[in-house]
Amino acid sequence: MSRFLGLLRRHAWAFALVLAIALLIANLMVSPNFLSPARLPATLATLAPFVLVGFASTPSILSGGVDVSVGPLATFINCLFVAVLLPSGIGDWYAAIPILLLTAAGIGAMTGVLVAVVRLHPVVASTGVLFVLIGLSITISKSPVSATPNWSDPLAQSFGWIPGALVTMGVVALGWFFLRRTAFVANLLATGESDVSAYGSGVNVTAVRILAYALGGLFAGIAGIALSALLQSSQSSLATTYALLGLAAAVLGGTALGGGKGGLLGTFFGALVIYLLQQLLTAAGVQPSLVQFAYGFALVVGVLVGATLLNSRRVRSRA
Amino acid sequence: MTEPTTSATRALTLPQPEPTGWPRFRDWALRTPFVQVVVLVALSALLVVTIPAFLVRPQAGIAVLTIAALLALASMGQTLVVIIGGLDLAVAGYITFGAMIASNATSRLGWPVSLAFVVVVLACGGVGATVGWLCHRFRIQPLVMTLGVGAMLTGGSMFIASGDYNGQPPAELRALAQLNGTTFGLPFPPIIGIVALLGVGLWLFLAKTAAGRRLYATGVNPVAANFARVKTSVVWTAVFAASGALAGLAGVFIAAFGAGWSQAVGDPYLFAGLAAVLVGGTTFGSVRGGFTRTALGALILTVLSTLIVSRGLSEAQGRIVYGIIILAVVALYGRERHVRDRF
Repeated sequence: MSRFLGLLRRHAWAFALVLAIALLIANLMVSPNFLSPARLPATLATLAPFVLVGFASTPSILSGGVDVSVGPLATFINCLFVAVLLPSGIGDWYAAIPILLLTAAGIGAMTGVLVAVVRLHPVVASTGVLFVLIGLSITISKSPVSATPNWSDPLAQSFGWIPGALVTMGVVALGWFFLRRTAFVANLLATGESDVSAYGSGVNVTAVRILAYALGGLFAGIAGIALSALLQSSQSSLATTYALLGLAAAVLGGTALGGGKGGLLGTFFGALVIYLLQQLLTAAGVQPSLVQFAYGFALVVGVLVGATLLNSRRVRSRA
Repeated sequence: MTEPTTSATRALTLPQPEPTGWPRFRDWALRTPFVQVVVLVALSALLVVTIPAFLVRPQAGIAVLTIAALLALASMGQTLVVIIGGLDLAVAGYITFGAMIASNATSRLGWPVSLAFVVVVLACGGVGATVGWLCHRFRIQPLVMTLGVGAMLTGGSMFIASGDYNGQPPAELRALAQLNGTTFGLPFPPIIGIVALLGVGLWLFLAKTAAGRRLYATGVNPVAANFARVKTSVVWTAVFAASGALAGLAGVFIAAFGAGWSQAVGDPYLFAGLAAVLVGGTTFGSVRGGFTRTALGALILTVLSTLIVSRGLSEAQGRIVYGIIILAVVALYGRERHVRDRF
């Protein structure tokens, strides 16, 4: 038992993994064909936006800040693609993907500049950007616009035998895998742990922060594409739903909100836990209101367990 | 022996001369909500110029004041939480719960209005106190904790009401917040007076009592506050309890104002309330925060959105202006120190 606890303590993502496995088993018991090959692409496609929005909020948290605007950024990219690019005839993949991703990364970098250069509190800066993005999304498409047939459809189905959602999530995971081998992620974690020490060690704290938010923006752009693939319409009303979901996924996955600890793997399992919990309760015929209650409860319990059982350092009071 | 006061030691030991002219004015303007008052006066003037009807019909002005009062009440608790350096994302949940009790418990279960008030204040205050204590005890970021609790409150309220959104607050409760209400014969709804009284009380508490000063001390530096024998755990518990109770109270009045509730009744007030706090100039763990500033922030935002609607812009464009205003105001004097200066 103590070895098990030790394992959970060493790996921040292990707790979310254990929860996800338990929920997966429960899901299989309620609906035995949950993982059947025929349903898998569709299941993964509904999971992808959750996971990607979670990924998007992770780099900024690792840098010691927080970005509440990544969810609305994903829905803004969704509206931009479906309601602007497709009708105006530049919706082909070779034109749309660079435009969408550059826009998303640029908006992320702008938030980063507000945090690192203008030196606003991260919550303030991203709340301001959140208002602007929600406003822009509603301006672009007040009511849902249906998408004309386009290239993004297979991303929610499958390319041959590969589920399309694996492509969107895989691109981000692969990118992060290589970034981990660069100095950037090491500097990012150092900045999050203690920006003063990182600054003293010669890390360009400002540049690292801006890059972290830009990276989050880029991931949010991919989330927006995955969302468009899933919905095939523009849904500006989803912005507030997704606003805080990514944050919850990252934190459930063991990423410390103070920064400096965690990674995308934990966020993946965190998002998986939230998704599986919702699926399980919906499949078991529980009312939507209780699903929301359970989501909040899981978040509270997850944070409490992470702060007490899994905290290897002795719990000190705030003094 | 050399002269003991060289220019370097003199600069360190002797008091600095009082700043004069522009630096002095700047210090004063940053200490007081000067910018907010100027912006509010300018916006109000613009509003009266664009819609002259505001001079003829006082009802329009009272409508603006009522909406601002509701926003100010919803962000009153958030102000306290932001002063101690936290953030309460459960505000929407408290408001939904308060609105649900005010609409459904009174009309379906026949609760008297006073009982509804007591239940809302006790339940929301109790939940808030638990949140504050847990966050302090286990060093949890209140951001996540309140996010989860907010979802639980909203989901729980919907479950208790079991999808019944047709409840209406009783007439005596609606008279407190609806626009045709009167206060002791004067033609404005009592909610404006209630919020003003609460605001004065909160100002007295924050500025004139030792407990209020302890709150600022905790926000600026919890470690130092602890050494000064401030019980920071009590401060955290009490502040989050107050935040919950006040937001729940706001929910009751919001239901009275809108004559009913829905599952999303609290959502607009979460980020708009935070915006009112930030535009007012209260920043995380700051000594300059206070409810006077938040009330000014709520007024600025309400006048601004009235102006935006009157100019024929949509609500969406209003949001964009909101965002830019938050960023501009906080950039003006809510900036943090460079890492170089904390080294």
